[in-house]
Amino acid sequence: MSGSDAMLAPAPISVFRRLLASRLSRCCLVVVALYTLMAGYGEAVYQWHQWHDTVPGYQHQDLDRRFQPPSRAHWMGTDALGRDVFARLLQGARIAFRVGIITSLIAIPIGVLLGALAGYFGGKTDDIIVWLYSTFAAIPGLLFILAIAMIAGKGLLGVYLGIGLTMWVGVCRLIRAEVMKQRSLPYVMAGRVLGFSHARILFRHILPNVTHVIIVAFTLRFPASISTEVFMSFLGLGVQGEPSWGIMINNARLRLWQGVWWEMTFVTIAVLLIVLTFNLLGDALRDALDPRLKKVK
Amino acid sequence: MIRYILRRIVQMIPTLFGVVLITFVLFNLVGGSPARMMLGDKASARELEEFDEQRGFNLPLFWGTHSTTRLYAETDFSRSAGPWSGVPSSSWTSGEGLLLRGGHPVSVPVAFTPPAGRAYTWRLRYTLDVSNESAATFGDQPLTASDTPRLLTWTMRSGESPPPVFVLPEGAVLRILALDCRRHHDRPWQSQWLHYLGQLARFDFGRSHAANQSVIDLLRQGIRPTLMLATPILIGETVISLVLALGCAYHRNRFFDRFMLFLCVGLMSVNYLVWIVAGQYWLSYRLGLFPVWGFESWSYLVLPVIIGIAHGLGPNVRFYRSVMLEEMHKDYVRTARAKGLGPVRILLVHVLKNAMIPVITNVVLSLPFLYTGSLLLETFFGIPGLGYLSINAINSSDVDVVRAVVIIGSLLYLAANLLADLAYAWVDPRVKLS
Repeated sequence: MSGSDAMLAPAPISVFRRLLASRLSRCCLVVVALYTLMAGYGEAVYQWHQWHDTVPGYQHQDLDRRFQPPSRAHWMGTDALGRDVFARLLQGARIAFRVGIITSLIAIPIGVLLGALAGYFGGKTDDIIVWLYSTFAAIPGLLFILAIAMIAGKGLLGVYLGIGLTMWVGVCRLIRAEVMKQRSLPYVMAGRVLGFSHARILFRHILPNVTHVIIVAFTLRFPASISTEVFMSFLGLGVQGEPSWGIMINNARLRLWQGVWWEMTFVTIAVLLIVLTFNLLGDALRDALDPRLKKVK
Repeated sequence: MIRYILRRIVQMIPTLFGVVLITFVLFNLVGGSPARMMLGDKASARELEEFDEQRGFNLPLFWGTHSTTRLYAETDFSRSAGPWSGVPSSSWTSGEGLLLRGGHPVSVPVAFTPPAGRAYTWRLRYTLDVSNESAATFGDQPLTASDTPRLLTWTMRSGESPPPVFVLPEGAVLRILALDCRRHHDRPWQSQWLHYLGQLARFDFGRSHAANQSVIDLLRQGIRPTLMLATPILIGETVISLVLALGCAYHRNRFFDRFMLFLCVGLMSVNYLVWIVAGQYWLSYRLGLFPVWGFESWSYLVLPVIIGIAHGLGPNVRFYRSVMLEEMHKDYVRTARAKGLGPVRILLVHVLKNAMIPVITNVVLSLPFLYTGSLLLETFFGIPGLGYLSINAINSSDVDVVRAVVIIGSLLYLAANLLADLAYAWVDPRVKLS
């Protein structure tokens, strides 16, 4: 805590090496890569069919082939309308990744910008931004998300806005605390003595030193967004007419009682695996990037 | 003490104001008028207008003398004659506006007869071709003959002023380029914002349109099942997490600790839905241990409580464990060990007591969630609490209910924050409330 160099984030190469040192983290990275491939493939299929205006395979209904258990032709069986579960699962991955990425693209810039301004300038700016985020924090989370989604209308847009506009609070709080610490360090003072503008000090000098907070925040928010999307879709407020994991679970839930176990099982495993992976990876990253953060929740 | 509480309450006012502002922006500004959303597509303009009137949605947002009305569907005649199509002695051609021929009085096709005592402002852009100027009027306003467009603004008070009727002499041709109608309000500060604040000050949260009951009544009915579900979850979760966290601290870095840590991340990663679906399928349906759905006796609560505890265990154990481990490095623990106390006694008596502050913060700050209840648990186990109420309200766009739940939830969160601060002083004599 005392030495100023302990405050600086370690160099990226050593971080990556430290991350790769553990077998668990290596596995996690492989899983993330696999899911990214799946989501990318799903996106490609989706876009291809959008472009050619055809019915994609995952929407193709075939009532003669309904409720088929897993086989060579259908790796994960078929659902109540004879649609291939595996193809739908890939689409679910696409939607989950979209939600994870877009909500982060909404939340992280807002959180980082406001947090950096509050932490760097302090005073009135800080008061206003703290007021803003404590107001957002006071509103019950899930309910707030659902209310925003209700106003924005059913569909992916509501999901993006609902999650994105509530998620920035945590990022903002972390960045603000970190920037406050950095502000009093010699390199910032040196920058000021050299006559650098506030913007330059803040964005060129301080921000690179707090990127580890952003990376950890992203890794931990990603699975949270995915989980939220899953049950928003499950409640019927999320994605409409496309195979989101939440919708698949909702459909499969009713069939489970008739012994159709495959859809439920595979979707559940898919959700569990990606969320677990990101949670583990987030912890590992946090330890690798900033050992001091280890103690905090 | 009392001064401290009072000061803290004063400090909360900005946040409270912020919450009220956000709900206002969300539901009034962004959400637009919920009348159509609630009454459906078949409702007449008059019903919609009355609905807005009751809830203050027909007022200007923050300040102003004018607001929109459904009395007359505004049109600039560029694409169609709008409400004028089919009105006798009127004709519309694209790009020319609407032509009215003199001879008979022509009423503006309004959607309903405006109730007495309301004021409306009409704005009319027109050209008039007439020989006898004095005879052409709109309501009680004279129309001037002119080739260039003229603007007429007329504030009509229903019941006092004549109705909006064009009276044109024989042979006159009135070209209406644009006509719109807005509600006129005499007092500019009478806005939706003030109306909303007034409602809140009276603790009037409006009416649920789906249940046709006042929101306060609904909340009152919902609070009991919610508490019955959430209290055991909170207590169970806290006690079990503390015990497991103590176990982890005792066995730290050994198998039990590592296993628990991994288990916690695993438990955290299982989606709530999966807990619910799997619990209902395996425990209720397959094994028949619990009822699947409903709320009739205590046995209906067992499964949701178990699931609630299981879901909350992960983050809590991790948090409590890190709190305990942090305490373990402190001087007093070394002293206690030096004077020969056993590890169990150190943990249970010394560490636990000192770790109380973060534990209490965590517990007190989760109190507001008792109230919102577990949205999902209540929905999928059919427990008629506040969570169930909220989800139903969101599904049926019952704005007043959602808004009330959001505001009360925020109030409780603020109150819990205060309570946490007071609890510090109670637990830790070193903390002075000043």
